Amino acid sequence: MRQFFPVEDLARDDRFVQTNMAKRLADTRSAVDVKKSKSKSRSASNRLTPERHDASDAARSLMHGIMVGEIQALEGAGRTAHDFEAGDGSGDTIPFELKLDMARQAWDEARHVEISAKLSDWMGTEIGQFQENTVLFEAACSNDPVLRLAGVNRALEGLAIDVFTQMKEFGQLAGDPFLEFCEDWMLADEVTHVKMGSDWLRKVTEKDPERRKKALEFQQVVDKLFSFGGARGESDESPIGLARRFRELAGFTDDEVDTISQMDHDALEERKAAVRLAQEAAGV
Amino acid sequence: MADETTTTTEISGDDGALPGRPPFAPWDRRDLPGSFDVAETARRVGNYKWTEMKLFEALGGWVATVPELDIKMRLGTHCYHHAWHAELWHKRLPELREMKPERLTVPANDAMAEFITAMTEPEDAHLTIEKLVGVYRVLIPRFVAAYTYHMNNTSEITDAPTIRSLKFALQDEFDDWRDGELMLQSLITTPDHVARAAAHQSKLEAIMVRAGGITGPGSIG
Repeated sequence: MRQFFPVEDLARDDRFVQTNMAKRLADTRSAVDVKKSKSKSRSASNRLTPERHDASDAARSLMHGIMVGEIQALEGAGRTAHDFEAGDGSGDTIPFELKLDMARQAWDEARHVEISAKLSDWMGTEIGQFQENTVLFEAACSNDPVLRLAGVNRALEGLAIDVFTQMKEFGQLAGDPFLEFCEDWMLADEVTHVKMGSDWLRKVTEKDPERRKKALEFQQVVDKLFSFGGARGESDESPIGLARRFRELAGFTDDEVDTISQMDHDALEERKAAVRLAQEAAGV
Repeated sequence: MADETTTTTEISGDDGALPGRPPFAPWDRRDLPGSFDVAETARRVGNYKWTEMKLFEALGGWVATVPELDIKMRLGTHCYHHAWHAELWHKRLPELREMKPERLTVPANDAMAEFITAMTEPEDAHLTIEKLVGVYRVLIPRFVAAYTYHMNNTSEITDAPTIRSLKFALQDEFDDWRDGELMLQSLITTPDHVARAAAHQSKLEAIMVRAGGITGPGSIG
């Protein structure tokens, strides 16, 4: 078995259709309504709530996205447990205990796939009904394990905290205790994974500030990518909120959350401008 | 109803002390002798840790290479089981006077290392049968055998901590073995599949026989 495994070789059965971030963001069927007014009224909000006219489809699409994301998170954690020898954390090695944590995360992610597959079924979605964006596994392909911790455990699992918080709230508002219950459990695991990433990142780079800086920069790149063009953010125009309290539990500082919030805002504005241009060009 | 004073006297004896009981109750038949001294136990535990590590690394690595969704999830789950076993053995080594666990975290011999290389060789998405055969029809049955032999032959008193870990690990091994066999039986549906599974098992089993088992010759006595 190869030491590193490329994203294009990810094994899937014939139901799955894969795409990448560039194609996804170029899709003019955007969830962000660029013509919406800046009113703060409830009806102006893009938040995923049962009141939205497209709530059912949006929730099903998001749940399918969660499921394929969990599959890639499982694959990524498994690869990190495999790809690096146990050692002192320098070079191509990672501490033995970090390998154990990655194996634990693989189990957690496997359960999340099980949960989200059952929830998707519960919501009336078939596997493969929506495209699979493989950007998550791409972040798990770095040859530097510290970049994987920054990109996957902190940026991506951080996004999972936001998404699960939103879905839990959606379940609450929609009167779906089944959905709310499952999201609550998955949220607990994600906080653990982010904390794992925060703790290991600090520990492994304790004596290597340059490596830590590089990792945090990579995290920002991934964070911006995973804000899905502002689909996640503190603005009401973003369907998914930023779960400050849970991020704090997971080891994020206030400054770090503020930076992500600003990045989400910028990404939303950039995306709105891009969608506006695309729609104008298409005569929409 | 008995008189309270009389009852107290019967239990306490003349000086108020409780009557003596034997250190081992009649139902406790544990014995002192065992087949392994501390050094031999540490050597075996080091081999267990090395092999469990190689197994959880392989299972984790294979998750991305397997297209069958149910199997992908099961490999992720089993990956953690074996990581946890490796952790148990890692923690046991210093208790067996090995303060540098890495020193004993080694394969029993070259053939055992060769076995792991051969077991982890299949990577292609169409080789799920070969991946599962190596783990569930060759390596895990060897774990069941080696752990059972160790549990049944070590001192039940001096080595109780190892026995406790062996019992936890064995429970997982039995469960995972069953899961693996179910997955294999669901995949092996044609004569060609049967031939593939048998050929791969035969190839790996031959290397394992040369190794003598997970802890080398004497793995099961």
